[in-house]
Amino acid sequence: MDSNQAKPSLELTHEKPKGVPVLVSFSKHDQTELQSADIKIETVNLAVFYGKFRALSDINISIPEKRITAIIGPSGCGKSTLLRSFNRMNDLVPRSHIEGEIRLDGENIFAMGIDVVNVRRRIGMVFQRPNPFPMSIFENVAYGPHLYGIRNHRVLQEIVEKSLHQAALWDEVKDKLNNSGMALSGGQQQRLCIARALAVEPEVILMDEPASALDPVSTLKIEDLMQSLKTNYTIVIVTHNMQQAARVSDFTAFMMIDSNRAGKMVEFGPTAHIFTNPKNKQTEDYVTGRFG
Amino acid sequence: MPRTTLDREIHHLQDEVLLLGSMVEQAMVDAVDALKRRDQEAARRVYHNDHLINEKRFAIENATLITIATQQPMAHDLRFLAAILEVDIELERMGDYAKGIARIVISLKDAAIQVPIKEFSQMAELAVGMLHRALSAFVTEDSNLAQSIPPEDDQVDALFNSTYRVLVTSMIANPELIDHSNLLLWVNHNLERMADRVVNICERTIFIATGELMEIETSEEEDVL
Repeated sequence: MDSNQAKPSLELTHEKPKGVPVLVSFSKHDQTELQSADIKIETVNLAVFYGKFRALSDINISIPEKRITAIIGPSGCGKSTLLRSFNRMNDLVPRSHIEGEIRLDGENIFAMGIDVVNVRRRIGMVFQRPNPFPMSIFENVAYGPHLYGIRNHRVLQEIVEKSLHQAALWDEVKDKLNNSGMALSGGQQQRLCIARALAVEPEVILMDEPASALDPVSTLKIEDLMQSLKTNYTIVIVTHNMQQAARVSDFTAFMMIDSNRAGKMVEFGPTAHIFTNPKNKQTEDYVTGRFG
Repeated sequence: MPRTTLDREIHHLQDEVLLLGSMVEQAMVDAVDALKRRDQEAARRVYHNDHLINEKRFAIENATLITIATQQPMAHDLRFLAAILEVDIELERMGDYAKGIARIVISLKDAAIQVPIKEFSQMAELAVGMLHRALSAFVTEDSNLAQSIPPEDDQVDALFNSTYRVLVTSMIANPELIDHSNLLLWVNHNLERMADRVVNICERTIFIATGELMEIETSEEEDVL
């Protein structure tokens, strides 16, 4: 190469070329936040099958620890299937199996010798419709710890009070702990179910449409509760309500079905980014309501 | 699946922004023309009609807020509506500049003072032309067109600088004309600022099209400061 050949100058200059506007970006790209967070759950080339039907295909997602991650997407895109895979709830579906890996704190939860019960203790779940057991409020919350072998009533009392406090329900039920859990309002029942999940001291809480059966006030209570819980827990929420995902989550994953009707991950990133400036056209169409 | 209501409201807001822009362009052309002809009547019309620009600005702001509240826009739609709130203010302020020039025409009455009208007319023509194309770029979300306009601000800045020197020199030479010359410095200032605000509109267009919050620095920026 000819060393005399003109090269672009690399020296810094304060002279701006005349007539050429200089663009200075003030946009904040918070991808760094994703990179700096510890990863709680990670999937590696995950595929989930129901019999021969491939419900999820090639899912690679890293769920940051002590953050709220929302999974959004149209009906049938595999959001709930993905969520239920995280604590091996899909094992309960006949003829289901997975390919790839799901790692909890770096350890494959499908590896030989893994205790599924322990996985489900570490990863709790809250469902769409509040499903308290037909027993008292106290027994609902004490049920899990009791199942795991705690028999001391005083210890159980402490766990129940702490869990109900964390679920922002204590003040409303402290005087009627022996009443039936079924007698509470819908929003209270859902918070009771969250208290029940918290009682076994999980690390991750999976929420599948936790507020879709609730009125707006109860919904906001659940959303506030999620914010207070994320200081101690990793939360993953599946929601049809995009505004809810935008309100509550730190990160958002958008899923769609591919041409074989298998769910795939389209885009994953900081929520602020997904809802103001998504990179993928399909994400843009979905969050602006122009999907389909 | 189109969002018929949201799309209709966005198109309506685009039309309203263009309408507000044309009102501002006309006000500036009329104000400088009134200065050229020292036409008190025409200046009074510009001065009083400024309230129409203000009303239109608030109507657009109100309609935008209602669309945001009722349609819950996201991503590109949200960026567009947020940008409208900014552009709306820029246009109203430009209207204030025209009103300010009209007010100066009224204050000058028939005072015997040399007005650098050739330069002022040129600045107004440049700024109004920039605004017209900047609003076209805004409603068509043409980022390339938006980026091509700010360099023209250099020409307005150059005219501002030369006219400033002429006016200050005349003030030194004729201290009795200081009051009136000072008013003309304000005319100079208003025209220069109008072009600056056009650059702000161009930045918003780039934001809508790319999602990037950009500041466009033109080459003469430091010279003006």
